[in-house]
Order: sequence, then C-alpha cells, then structure tokens
Amino acid sequence: MLEKFQEWYENRHEYQEKYKERTGNKIVGYFCTYTPEELFYAADILPVRILGSHEPQDVTEPHIFGMFCPFCRDALAQGLKGKYDYLDGITIGQSCLHLRQAFTSWDLHKNPGWSYFLPMPNHVQSKRAVPFLVEEYRLLIKKIEELAGKRIRDDDLRQGIDIMNKVRQAMKEIYEFRKEENPPITGTEAMYMTCAQFFTDAREFLPVAKEVNRELASRRLDRDPGKRIMLIGSENDDIEYINMIETLGERESVGCTVVVEEHCTTTRYFWDEVDTDIDDPVRAIAERYVLRTPCPSKDWPQRTRLQRILKLAKDFRVDGAIIIQQKFCDPHEADIPFIRRFLEDNGIPTYFLEFDVTVASGPFAVRTEAFLETLEAEEDLF
Amino acid sequence: MIIVGIDCGAKNTKTVVLRDNKIIGKGMILTGFDQTSAIRESLHAALKDAGIDVKDVDKISGTGAGMEEIRDADVRVNEVKAMAKAANFFVPSARTVTDVGAEMGRAVKIDENGKVIDFAINEKCAAGAGAFIEAMARALEAKLEEMGPMVLKSDKSIPMNAQCAIFAESEVVGLIHAKTAKADISKAIHDAMASRIVSMIRRIGVNKDIVMIGGVGLNPGFVDSLKRELEIDKVYIPPDPAFGAAVGAALVLAEET
Amino acid sequence: MAQYPTEPLKCWPKAKELRNKFYENYKQAHEKGGIRCMGSAWALDAVTMGLGRDVYWITGEPYGASCAFDSPLSADFLTAAEKFGFSRDLCSYMRNYWGSIIVGKYAFGGPLPKADFAYTQHICCSHGKWYQNACELEGGDVPLYVIDVGVGACPPFEPEMYKHRVKYVADQMLDSIEWMEKITGRTYNDELFFEACWNDIRLTHTWAKICMLNRAVPAPLDEKSIYSLYVFATLQKSSAAFAELYEELLEEVEDRVKRGIAAVGNEQARVMTDTQPPWGFLKIYRYLETWGVVSIGSLYTFGLEGMWLYDEDRNDLGPRPMPPEKPTSREEACRMLADWHLSKPEYQHFYSPEYKTEMMDAIAKNWRCDAIIMHYNRGCEGLSVGIAENRLGLLERGNKVMTYEGNMGDETEFDLPSTETRFDIFLESLGLKKREA
Repeated sequence: MLEKFQEWYENRHEYQEKYKERTGNKIVGYFCTYTPEELFYAADILPVRILGSHEPQDVTEPHIFGMFCPFCRDALAQGLKGKYDYLDGITIGQSCLHLRQAFTSWDLHKNPGWSYFLPMPNHVQSKRAVPFLVEEYRLLIKKIEELAGKRIRDDDLRQGIDIMNKVRQAMKEIYEFRKEENPPITGTEAMYMTCAQFFTDAREFLPVAKEVNRELASRRLDRDPGKRIMLIGSENDDIEYINMIETLGERESVGCTVVVEEHCTTTRYFWDEVDTDIDDPVRAIAERYVLRTPCPSKDWPQRTRLQRILKLAKDFRVDGAIIIQQKFCDPHEADIPFIRRFLEDNGIPTYFLEFDVTVASGPFAVRTEAFLETLEAEEDLF
Repeated sequence: MIIVGIDCGAKNTKTVVLRDNKIIGKGMILTGFDQTSAIRESLHAALKDAGIDVKDVDKISGTGAGMEEIRDADVRVNEVKAMAKAANFFVPSARTVTDVGAEMGRAVKIDENGKVIDFAINEKCAAGAGAFIEAMARALEAKLEEMGPMVLKSDKSIPMNAQCAIFAESEVVGLIHAKTAKADISKAIHDAMASRIVSMIRRIGVNKDIVMIGGVGLNPGFVDSLKRELEIDKVYIPPDPAFGAAVGAALVLAEET
Repeated sequence: MAQYPTEPLKCWPKAKELRNKFYENYKQAHEKGGIRCMGSAWALDAVTMGLGRDVYWITGEPYGASCAFDSPLSADFLTAAEKFGFSRDLCSYMRNYWGSIIVGKYAFGGPLPKADFAYTQHICCSHGKWYQNACELEGGDVPLYVIDVGVGACPPFEPEMYKHRVKYVADQMLDSIEWMEKITGRTYNDELFFEACWNDIRLTHTWAKICMLNRAVPAPLDEKSIYSLYVFATLQKSSAAFAELYEELLEEVEDRVKRGIAAVGNEQARVMTDTQPPWGFLKIYRYLETWGVVSIGSLYTFGLEGMWLYDEDRNDLGPRPMPPEKPTSREEACRMLADWHLSKPEYQHFYSPEYKTEMMDAIAKNWRCDAIIMHYNRGCEGLSVGIAENRLGLLERGNKVMTYEGNMGDETEFDLPSTETRFDIFLESLGLKKREA
C-alpha cells in the first residue's frame, strides 16, 4: 500500500478534482500549516495544502520580488498557471512574509470567490495567544459557515479534531518504524506519506496509513541503511534530493537513510495533537496551534525548537543532521547558526545546504557524500 | 544626410551608417579592453562598407555601455530609447522590444511612436544574457554557433534552474555526467535562459508585436525557446539584429535634427 | 525655468544636537544610574518609560542605518555577522546590529554599550528573531520582551478594529510591565507612563501634519531632509523633547509654505519613493535634483511613524485625530496605545499589498506626484513584502512607476552608475531634461 502515497503525491490534482466530483464537497487550498484544518473538516470542506511543483517557471516575476524564497514563488506559480482552478477558496494562517505573498498575489489575481487571512498570533509563548486565537477562530468559523452554507456546531468541531488527531497518530506510529536498526520505510517514502496527507481527505488517507502500518511490521528492505540522517529546516518536499542521498549507497562507498525530519512538511506539521480533555473544542484547537512545534518565525523569545530537535535526534538515533534552507528563508536563516552550534555541542555533526526550486543533483550528491564520509571517519576512531 | 550610429557594447562595438534613414554600411569589432580603438575601428569598417569618407558624415550618435567613450558623438542616447526607436523603425506594430546582449537583458514597452512607456533591465546576474550561453557552450565543449541549431534537434524538456549562472553550470555538468545528449542539454540551457528573459518581459507585460534585437537574435535555438516560453507564434527579428541599438541611436538623432 | 527661493531649515542645528545627545545618553546611561534598553524603532517604547526618566534607548533600525552610512565600519560589521554564520540576504540593519555586537564597537565611538534589557515589537518575521539573537550574542543574559502586533489590518481595510485584537496587544503590554518590574527591581510609575504615552501620540500625530504640508508646490521639504527629521520618531516616540521639536518644525514648515520656500529651487517634477533608501547613497536624491525632480516623501517616511487614516471614498490620507484626553489608568493607556499604533500605515501591507497600493496611490494623487520611484530593497523583507504587487497596482491606477534594486544597509548590493542610468532613462521618458552640471 506504500505506493499509494507516491501516487497521491504525484497526482494530487487528479485526486482533488475527482474528489469534488464524487463527494460534492468543497475544497479550500491553504498555504501554511498554521491553518486549522479541523475547522474545515468540521464544515465538510476539504483543506488541501498548496505546495510547489519543483519546475522552473517564468510567471511569478511580476508578482514577487526576487529576494523572496523559491518556495513561495513555486506555490504561486501553481495558481497563476491555472493548476488549482477547481478550488473553492484559499486561506492562510499567518505565516512568514514570504509565503504570505503567494497567498496575497493568488488572492488578487486568481481569487476563487472565498479567501481568508487568519491572523495566527506570532507570540505563541505568550499566555495571551490562546484567548486571542479563540476569538479569531470564531470569526473564521463564521466565514467558513458562509462557504459551507451551514452552521458548524461543537460536535462538528470535535469530529474535525478526531479526524486530524487520528491521522497524526497514524503517521507517528509509522514514524516509530524509522527508529529501527534497518528501517522498513525510507525517508523518501515517509515524505511521500506526509505530503500525501496534505493532498487527500484524512478519512481516505487513514485506512491506507493503517494498512501500511501492518505491512511495515513484516517489511524488510534489501538495502544497507548506512548512516542515519535527520533533515532540519525550511519547507521541504524535495523528494528528488532525498531519494538521491538514500540511493548513494548503491553507487558509492557510503550511503544513508533519512530517519526523521524537522520540516513543516513533516514533524512540525503533524507531531502535536489536539488535547481532547479540553471541553471547548475551539479552545482545544487554538491551544494545539499555539503550542505545536513552532516555525522559527514564531519561536521567540525562547528558542524552543532546539530541545525538540535534540529529542527527535536522540529518539531516532541519528548520526548526523543536514540543515536545509530554502534560499532567502529568513526565519530559518536567523536560527541556523544557533542550531548548528547547539547540535555540534550535543555531538551531532551537521551539514548545511541551500535549496532552490530544483536542486543541482550532481554537486549536492558530492557534498552529501563527503559529509557522510566525515561521519564514517569519526566512527573509526572508536 | 548621413548619420552614424555607434553602439559600444560590453562585448562588441557596432557601427551603422544611415543615409536618409537607409542603412548603407555596417561595421562590428570586438570591444576588448580598448573601447576607443574599437570605436574607431568599427567606424572605419562601416564607412568602408558604405564606401564613403569620414568627411561625408554629418552627425554621430552614440549608445551602449561604453557610449561615454565615443568622443565625437554629437548626442548620446540611452540604450533603452535606442532599442525602442529601432524596434519601431523595423516593425511599426511593435509594442514590446527585448534586447538580449552579451551581459545585459532588457525589455521595453513602447507605444506606436516608439516612445518608452515602461522598461525592465536584468539585475547583476548574467544568467539572463548572452554570456550565459557562451559559458554553457564551454561546459558542453561545443562551438557557440552550434549551440542554437542543436536545440531544434531536441524534443526533450529538462528543467534547469538558471537563477544563477554558476549554479546552472553545475547542473549542466551533472547532465553531462548523466550522459544526457548534447542537443537536449543545449535545449535545456536555452529554455532556462529564455525563461529568465520572459520573466523580465512579463514584468512590463507581454504585448504584441514582439521584437527582439541584439546578437542573440541570430541564434535560432534561443528564438525557438523564447516563442515557446512566451506562448506566441512570432517574434520579429530585424535584419542584422546585433546592429539594432546602433540604428536606433542614429534614428533618434535624425529625428532631432 | 521656474526658480523658487530656498532656505536652510532653522531647526536643523537643534535636531542635530538632539540626535547626538540621544546616542551619547545611551552610552552614558549607567554613569547616571540609568537603564539601557534596546529594541526596534517600531517598539512601543512609551511602556518602558514608567520605569523612570532615566531609561535610555537604542533602536536597531536607525542604528543599522547609521552603521550603513559609515561604509568601512559597516563592512566590518557585515563581515563579522557573515562569519558567525548569518546569511547575507537577512535584514541588513539586523546584520549591522549583530555585527556591532560581535565586533564590540559602537557606531558612535567606543565599545558597544550592553543593554540591560531588550523590548521590542514583532510585525515582520525578523523583529523577534533580531533581539532573540542580539540577546544571545550579548552573552545570553539580556532579558527580552517582544510584543506581537500582527493582528490584522485596521479599518477601512477590515470592517472594524476588533476589540480582541486591541486587547491582545494591550494585554501583552500589561504583562510586560510586570516583567520589567521583575527584571529591573524598580517600581513602575503609571504617571510617567501616561505622559510618555501622550508624547508618543502627540509626536506621531504632529509628524503626519508636517507631511501634509508637503502637498504644497513647491514642496517645502525634500525627502533627503525628511529622512533626517523623521528619524526622531524612530529613535524614541515617547520623548517630550522630540515631540516639541516636531511642534517647532510644524510651525517652521507652515511658515515656509506661506512664503513659498522650496526645498529644491528648480522643482520641475515631483516624485514619491518607496521603502528605505540605500543609506550610503543618499546622493541619488541630489542626482534627481539635476533633473529638476524633488522627492516629496513616501508612505515609508510619512507612515512608518506618522499616524494617519485612509479615506477610501476620497482616496486620501489625513492625520488620525488624537484621542480626546490623556489616559488615566494603566489599562486605558495600554489600550489607547495599542489602538493608536495598529492604524500605522506601514503595518497594513503585512496583510495585503492592496492596502499599501491604495495609500500610495492616495499620496501620489494628493501630493501631486508625476511619478513613483520604488526601491526594491533587498535589505528589508518587511517593507518590500508585496512590493511587486504595489508596482502593478500603481501602474493600473495610472501612475508612472520605475524600480531599482538596492539595499538600505549593504552597499555591495547597490550599483550607483546603473541606478543613475535607470533614472536617466525613466526621467527622460517623462519628458524631463537634465540640467548639465
């Protein structure tokens, strides 16, 4: 069943268009994982995340100044090129400035008739963030009700919570397999999974994830796992790169397996669940988004990511970390020097790579291989 | 009246001789380090081609990156104005003109009189200019003039990131190592560069008719890529596109005289 | 060719002295037993003033601009920041600032004085991170408080100023007061806070009134001078001395308008700009003058600190009227300050570029601009977010627009000759003629 994730990833538009036809449900595209999907599920609207296509394009130049990240450009290009004309709405939970531009330009030029900017608080470490967000959710709920043409009740919200919590749990269970000595699932496959979840109805994703979970229990991969690598950084669904480094071992003397990541396409997105012991579902959802693993743009005054990253690194027993940054991604650029020092101080070697829409496979292969070799050398000392 | 237009560009210095707005002579010399001697030599070549003497020249108009070095110029015309005028002269229906030179790409929106309405010039990186193709030809170990025709033999579409020339070169090396056919790589290079130019054109808007001047206009592969990226059937290329700005500069002077 | 009379500004020497004193005060704060505070120029500095009259500020953006103005010093700072591992495309004020900490040099002479605490606000992604990292670079023992103001746009861009949005900002201010008492060991004086709060409102209101006067032809102020004057609002909005300076300036500019005194004697055409200029190259404004062009200001100089209201029906901007009375309770002062600052014009584009386009268009029309020159500023993502859409929107509304790329605080990203060439091409296309030197 694992291939199903890749199929969904590669055919996201086909899935979503057919989904509309067969269910009659509306679809809203969202740009940042600070969008509360629970509220949309509560209204029977499918929230889908908009990612780029990793293809060079020339349509965004008039809309986004060149110093903003390739990801926001790539995401906007999908809209301008008409790939998402089937959407019923677009939304964003206040994100970094970069991605916000993909939303606002899309809103200006390809408005599907419904759009909403949610002022997700930035000061998530303040006790004032949750009460504020609760009020914002109430405004958003009214707007969603207009789109859905029906009221959203507490029970609907609880259903939304239940759906999202279940897929989060299912993915975390699958991540458990990545802790094994020879993980039965590669990083490439795991990335297909987490991204496929963005593109599909969680209720259709869930049974597949459960089936995969059963399969993984007996799956043995005929490959040398090599070094255990963690990926950390900006938005990243560059599967070509991940696949390239995971197949290095077939061609070179060293290889690796990506065993965990800290990206908003993976653990930052799904690791945290909504606390169902909280009575008011709106408040429970607000707490989840305020307390979730933060994007660096919201991670202040304390840099809480450090400890979260270290815990993942230890739990998944990584040999080294590759810090990936989308070119021009300011929030990550402000964190990276400190993350590198912190990880090195904790005995985890790091290597830094800057990503664009496409990656130069050749040079990146050479550099990654060289990094893996340094991990090898360190081990030889003992 | 005989008017000379000199375009002292980053790579070549081009001179045209116009008699009553008709081109009667042309000369082109590598600019090199010594702009002054390039200007002199290209002027001589053009006069020789026209079969006239320097005494017969009424006025000289200069343009291009090195126009300050054209000491004898009666006027100096900025490149954008010159290319706009040239496009209007060759193709009166032109509303967009793009000039792809060795180190600079430009796009200009013009009205029916060849007046500049809006313009875009590429920023520092050479990835959107002719020098890019030259650099890639070296990486491919191909002759520059082979690069364009090769494109027409390929039907593959390989995505390449041309935001940076250095970055693109390493992508080309990667493709060579992956044993990709030269024609396919050449097409990828041209598509990537055309995509940069088209990005720039989109900033001022794609308005027909579109005219391209500059030496790269002689590269059939690039023109093919440009049409594909712009999703249009025709890009007008004047005869001797490399001389476009020189002609435009001369015409501006003729009009003012 | 029309030639208007010109005169230097009378308040110039006083302004210069006040600015020097501001940076001296920060240096000498501890000798006087005072407190040093660092934070963004957008910070709500008034709240810190309840700690006493001896709280001395340094604000990062104007400090970064001052570094950029001194090119060799800035090169040192930027290199130090890069060596530490910070990417070159980060905010150039911030990199200058971090570099200043790493190198340990104060741009105004001597070693960089260490702040006792950091107090800032967060609207662009970099604000919180700026001081998080600054505090860490200072050794990790400088406490930090950040107030998030990213709560959405003000009316008319949003249907109303929702109470919970003002409350969120005001509540953070209230929390910060308790926090400041704890870290400084001082008792907070509400009366001083009310005074500071009122100074802030008075100063930012007066600044808008001054900018209104630049609608006159000839313009009494040119943007290069405006930069030197608006800076006080970025240094310390809550300062009584600065508020008084603006009141004097208002009178002086009124007088200039009455007497037809021009900033640029050969004013032939008027432009407005956008975003911070490349600070090391303010001579580009003198270059514009050779074309008879005066820059009358920008949404940036008018609305970064000035407080305005946008009237959608009339497509016009006017100074936001001051609240009727001074606040009398801590809660009221926090609410008043939050509500006042949330209408800041330069906050609005963080939610949609359209809002900025509308306000810029209002300036272009009502300040009688012939064209708009936009600085695509690689040094500031906060003010260049959405800038390409602003360009498109302004063109659509019939404005002539040109753009140039540069960087407010990193001179390696600015190309003077090619920028002047762009100016030439553009100004010539407007039908202007350059006056030969």
